[in-house]
Amino acid sequence: MDTAAVLEWLKSSHLATGIRDSLYLFPLLEAFHVFGLALVFGMTVILDFRLLGIASVRRPVTQVMSDIMKWIWLAFMLTAITGILMFITNADVYYHNFFFRTKMVLLALAGVNMVIFELTSGRVVHRWNKDATAPLPGKTAAILSLLLWITIIFMGRWIGFTTTKSQVPQAPDVNFDELFTPPASNEGGAPK
Amino acid sequence: MLERLAEWLALTSLSALIQTHNAWVIPTIQSVHIVAIGIVLTAVVMIDLRILGWAGHDQTLRETTDRFGPWLSGALIVLLVTGALMIIGEPRRELLSFSFWLKMSLVIVGTIIAAIFKMTLKSNEPRWEQKGKARSVKWLAILTLLIWISIVVLGRLIAYDHIWGSWSFGPIA
Repeated sequence: MDTAAVLEWLKSSHLATGIRDSLYLFPLLEAFHVFGLALVFGMTVILDFRLLGIASVRRPVTQVMSDIMKWIWLAFMLTAITGILMFITNADVYYHNFFFRTKMVLLALAGVNMVIFELTSGRVVHRWNKDATAPLPGKTAAILSLLLWITIIFMGRWIGFTTTKSQVPQAPDVNFDELFTPPASNEGGAPK
Repeated sequence: MLERLAEWLALTSLSALIQTHNAWVIPTIQSVHIVAIGIVLTAVVMIDLRILGWAGHDQTLRETTDRFGPWLSGALIVLLVTGALMIIGEPRRELLSFSFWLKMSLVIVGTIIAAIFKMTLKSNEPRWEQKGKARSVKWLAILTLLIWISIVVLGRLIAYDHIWGSWSFGPIA
């Protein structure tokens, strides 16, 4: 099965059709997506600011992490599930959308950044646990994390402004001139 | 009356400026708004989790509010500014929306609860910190959590005000 067939299959699934046909489901999915990502982002900021020595400086890093990690993962799961459900309602349009693709790449990079942190400063956290700031790799990871997550939020909002329910791009290539112009037709539920 | 206010706002020069560049200005303002929501919501959640005993056990209630309070009020100001810009930029979208007015009412209730909590924390602290005796403040924590979640959800629902049917103040889209 090629990509187009998979996207078509997702889009025509019972689940996707059910969400599309409902007046409330897509708006509610989007609303809880924002709720989930707000928590993922805010709690990530707590950790990043701790690593940079901006906040929570008097608390050991491991303490800061143990407080928030399970909530970050719970919130991330909510965000991912609502995101996937929104994706399947209009799979081909999102798949070809420049901002959606960029957002997915940045999400992957945020994951890589987290793994690199765990393998570098994170591995020897007991050595600097009570220091005001993390060692250089940790600080670098914190700055990258902040930049990535803020950009991810911007990309997410731009997806809503550049997709409509009925529009499939003619060619999968990106036309940069059109990126910053809203789509001409606004029928359907472009989530603005 | 709201219609006329919206029409007047739409004619202001700031509104015209936002509308002229709406392709990127409005998404940018909305994105900054969401970034600030992340800070406010997380600050509320962290304080509420501490009250409920689900996070931050090693800090007293006062330490927790001192830690997150300034971020909460700082980001709330960003929310008010970006929110005001969104109203000025798209007055009809906001002012004629049922979700918007319900959200604003909840913002006022949530802020009043937070202010009262902050003012009475000093005298109530010994009681609230006692294990098993802080039941009322725990219910308050759950209530504020629900209020702020509703605020976030209603904010997004402004874009879909037709779901309220005849409750929406705007023309059915």
